[in-house]
Amino acid sequence: MAKPFTNIARVDARAKVTGAPIYGADKLPQGTLHAAFVVSTIVKGRVARIDNSLATNLPGVRHILTHLDAADLKSAGFLLAGGYGCQNSFPFLTDRVAYRGQPVALLLADTLEQALHAASLVEVEYLEEAFSSSIRSEGVTTIAQVDSPLPQQLFRDTVAGDALPAFAAASVTVDATYYSPPQHQNPIELIGTVAVWEGDQLTLYEGTQNSSALKFGVAQMLGIEPDRITVISPQAGGGFGQKNSLQMQTGLVAWAARIAGVPVKMVVPRAQLFHSASFRPESYHRIRLGADAGGRLSGALYDADAQSSRHDLFPMDYTNAAARLYGIPNFRGHQRIVQTDTQTPGYMRAPFEHLSSFVVDTAVDEMAAKLGRDPVEFRLTHDTDIDPITKLPLTSRKLSDCLRRGAEIIGWSSRSREPGSMRGSNGELVGIGVGCGCYKAATAAAVAFLRLSADGRVTVSVGVHEMGQGIRTALANALADKFGIDPMLVEAVIGDTRGVPQHTTAGSWGTATAIPAAMEAADKLFAELGPRPLEELARRNLPHYDVMIERRAPGQPEQLAQALHAGRPAPFGPVYPEFVSYSYIAHFAEVHVEPTTRRIRVPRVVSVVDCGRVVSPRTAESQVRGGVVWGIGAALFEASEVDPRYGGFLNTDIAEYIIPVNADIGRTEVAFIDEPDPLLNPTGVKGLGEVVMTGVAAAVVNAIWHATGKRLRDLPVRMEHLL
Amino acid sequence: MFTLTVNSQSYDVDEDGQMPLLWVLRDTLRLTGTKYGCGIAQCGACTVYVDNQPKRSCTLSLEIAASSEITTIEALTGPEADAIREAWIGRDVPQCGFCQSGQIMSAVALLRSIAAPTDADIDMAMSGNICRCATYNRIRAAIHDAAETLERSAG
Repeated sequence: MAKPFTNIARVDARAKVTGAPIYGADKLPQGTLHAAFVVSTIVKGRVARIDNSLATNLPGVRHILTHLDAADLKSAGFLLAGGYGCQNSFPFLTDRVAYRGQPVALLLADTLEQALHAASLVEVEYLEEAFSSSIRSEGVTTIAQVDSPLPQQLFRDTVAGDALPAFAAASVTVDATYYSPPQHQNPIELIGTVAVWEGDQLTLYEGTQNSSALKFGVAQMLGIEPDRITVISPQAGGGFGQKNSLQMQTGLVAWAARIAGVPVKMVVPRAQLFHSASFRPESYHRIRLGADAGGRLSGALYDADAQSSRHDLFPMDYTNAAARLYGIPNFRGHQRIVQTDTQTPGYMRAPFEHLSSFVVDTAVDEMAAKLGRDPVEFRLTHDTDIDPITKLPLTSRKLSDCLRRGAEIIGWSSRSREPGSMRGSNGELVGIGVGCGCYKAATAAAVAFLRLSADGRVTVSVGVHEMGQGIRTALANALADKFGIDPMLVEAVIGDTRGVPQHTTAGSWGTATAIPAAMEAADKLFAELGPRPLEELARRNLPHYDVMIERRAPGQPEQLAQALHAGRPAPFGPVYPEFVSYSYIAHFAEVHVEPTTRRIRVPRVVSVVDCGRVVSPRTAESQVRGGVVWGIGAALFEASEVDPRYGGFLNTDIAEYIIPVNADIGRTEVAFIDEPDPLLNPTGVKGLGEVVMTGVAAAVVNAIWHATGKRLRDLPVRMEHLL
Repeated sequence: MFTLTVNSQSYDVDEDGQMPLLWVLRDTLRLTGTKYGCGIAQCGACTVYVDNQPKRSCTLSLEIAASSEITTIEALTGPEADAIREAWIGRDVPQCGFCQSGQIMSAVALLRSIAAPTDADIDMAMSGNICRCATYNRIRAAIHDAAETLERSAG
């Protein structure tokens, strides 16, 4: 039985408390020009005329570039359709406008103010077309995913048994529909690029989760060899999925720098990012849940509609996670893409799983109540060791342990069952709710390079990006443990295309990919140098010793893994040839509802996680706390507002897009099962960064029901829904 | 031309008087510890001290800043600053770290003005600093830790 990893401090903490220049936008080479976009004020149509006469002669303005200058630029394609970009609609390639806020001109000036001021004076005339802003707008195009050109192995309906007759024959049913608005990731670090050419060599500084996509994608856009491009992103100031592909400005900034002959810097203003970067799409969900005469869940029908753009089919994956939360023998999940006139949606933390766990676990909660069963006990009776869809064994599933432990910590036995039966000291209505979630344990192909130096330092390079989840610390901790050295002697070359191929860090596969790869490289070094490698190094009189390994996810076909070397995603799972793997979590939320105003507060959340082995306890705990806050934000605060008359999003800043602040967050308590997964990889690691958010919204909304007797199904839940 | 005092040093800054102090700091003086997160004084990542008071530099013009003493994260010193930094590391406060310069500036200012802040004091003082990684609980705990450290060394 492996011993738990040591709880060490985050290795980059000191840099982060002293304002060290570790982010892309901290770069400003001598002579850099500042870039600003002009963005469209229409949703759909064409650019008819651009009049830059008021801007062009302003002091400091050096270049104004539009689609008329871009004949040599190419698209980098859509990440999910063989390309690299967040969408297959790159600015300036045509005169078409595909979404409100689409960049239509780029200005270069000596200072940022000059660029912004000049941009505001560029006048654009458009030919407007009618548009559809939301799923329920007129003029949308709806495509069932199972009938679409998307790869059916991944995106067809999720089916087990025969759900329709099972539901029809059920003794007790729940039939509920749910709504989730569009939402935006809003990391505090804005998306931005500094592009520096030296001869025909290009260096890009940008906070990203996918330095390979930037390298290969910009190469494709500019028509140059990828090995002329270096991307450097030692730290990203938060990603949450928004930075997991090539963004809209990167290639254009590089192109502008090539034209201008000097470095160019653009930090995209937050308001523009609401339109030019990805977001969580609007979605509607319906679940029909049936229980048999014995009170067992016998069938579930899960239907989801989610928004996409006109130019891409953004694939959905709600139903696979929905099917895996409990052992329901008959399941049918059906998903439809609804094309609207927006930029292409993308991945925002637990992109599907946050909602599928919300839908399933509020319906399960409702079913438990209908059956007169305790909510925790009801969930425990639907545990399973076998994947309900493929019937393969699960590598590990400790959700029942999570439920039992969480129930104990929150004091579930003191909870009185009837809604509205608990009161706080100020007369507030008190509710305690449980919500469970799961998230796929995927892993990606990886190359790992390891160097042991004679001075005892270890340098590792592997495809992963630090965005605050603590991967630098996990790598340092794992290798420090292996080599018996101080973690501060481990240097990681990550988020840097000068190292090994840099696979995108997303889908919670970062640690589960990078740590086993680093450890395999370390094992190889020990195999070659023996159990005392430093002594052997000295004996051989070598300054350093290098090893390199390449590994794939379990059972991953070689052909899929090779995508890694072309800067393309190469993840695999959660369905592997011989098993299926998920991470699990149970949250218990205490909610207070003020009796007159119906103001909702969440003073306490207890979360217990099964993510396999915990490599870095301190940073892992921080991830859970972050995920709980994200779940509360999604449940109670966050919505990107759309006015169908204007399209686009209205509340494009963090004053009006409501993100939880310090005062919104009560006590969060975290526990880990910390049992290594025995099958997925030698370290026993499953993913953590997104499972942490799944189940929180259900716990909060189930607690609100317990406090008030009202079942709420549209997010975000607001006071007025309880009046 | 403006004469700006930053971190006890005097600089001649030849920029437009309306240029936000944030850009003077980051681009002209190359002090990049202060960050740009929103430009509308909503996120707090650009927090600096203006005559020892925390202010958002993204909405403060050079012209006005020039009449005061500016302090940035790079020159944050003193017992409160040391205590906050150590507490921040001890409690694993920073995740991505991008908001943390601003968080620390606000936290140190709080401790300099209230030696033993309550949770309500903390909520109030820190309300303008947003953290998307949601490090709030640890910020609160770390401020309490730092306050205790200072009390112990004073006592």
